[in-house]
Amino acid sequence: MTRNEFLQKLADELRKNNITDIEEIISEYEQHFAFKMADGFSEEEIAAKLGNPAEISSQYESAGEDQGGEGRKAAATIGLFCIDIFAGAFFVLLMAWEVIMAAFSVCNAVVAICLIGGKSPWSLIPPMPRFPAVVLGFSLAALFVLSAIGGVYFAAFIRQLMRSYGRFHQNTMAAATGRAVLPSLGIYPRLPAKINRRLRTVALVSAVLFTTCFVLGMIISMIMSGNLEFWHAWGWFGYK
Amino acid sequence: MNIQYKKGVLELCVLSLLKKHDCYGYEISEFLSKHIDIADGTVYPILRKLRSEGLLTTYMQEESGGPPRKYYSLTSLGRESYEKERAEYLDFAKRVEILLEGDNHDTK
Repeated sequence: MTRNEFLQKLADELRKNNITDIEEIISEYEQHFAFKMADGFSEEEIAAKLGNPAEISSQYESAGEDQGGEGRKAAATIGLFCIDIFAGAFFVLLMAWEVIMAAFSVCNAVVAICLIGGKSPWSLIPPMPRFPAVVLGFSLAALFVLSAIGGVYFAAFIRQLMRSYGRFHQNTMAAATGRAVLPSLGIYPRLPAKINRRLRTVALVSAVLFTTCFVLGMIISMIMSGNLEFWHAWGWFGYK
Repeated sequence: MNIQYKKGVLELCVLSLLKKHDCYGYEISEFLSKHIDIADGTVYPILRKLRSEGLLTTYMQEESGGPPRKYYSLTSLGRESYEKERAEYLDFAKRVEILLEGDNHDTK
């Protein structure tokens, strides 16, 4: 078989098998012939060494859109749409929880400032002596730090979860249309090790501070009011 | 040897060669047929398949005195997938070798 015969036969076979980009494939074989001929091989030798054009052609996979490709794509789109609605609702729920955590954190900060500063706007802070108020204020300040860290970590978690879901969405479409599938992403956020370590230390310190100050504040209140249920002694919650 | 059997291993060989440096198609074909007994035409379908899977990319480069050549280069996905499949293959080959060697001793 000569060069032209080989290339012609290969192009015919590729066309028969529904392969796209035939020119590009043929140009590879043209180059192969060019290199081999420069090395002094005859056209027949090169063609024989390349193999049977029909066999070569059968090794090219048709791009996948010839049979059932459209159907698979449509099924994947509908399926993904349904999952998207479910996942979307889930993400809304997670974000609502994030808002609640942020509000809780802000409330802790405000109450802590009021207790430590001795202010009681609109008489909302129950009356109590200055000393236990400051101790309890510190415990709430620590709780603010703790809940703020929780909020930040949770936000990072939601973000990573959404990215991971986005990658899954992308890969499912890619698999249905025969495109390249990317490695999937983990669902847990990967903060830099240094930040991770610091966050953990601060969270631990504030957890200990919160517990200690809270218990201490209770005990001091009980001693100062001379009553285990000091809230009755100080007339909180409308009791006298 | 069975061609389907060889094809998966050939993919691994192509990735291994491209991990060292970028090559044009003919270079890869020559390299493989030097080491493994295959028809020269087998390499090009493999290159195309690897490219459509996103493991390889191509670029054209001008050569002095000749038409531009199409170079193949490993993508980061290709690198990742090569390392994984290499380890899997080596482990598999080792196990098969143990099995077949054991058979040899039994018959003696």
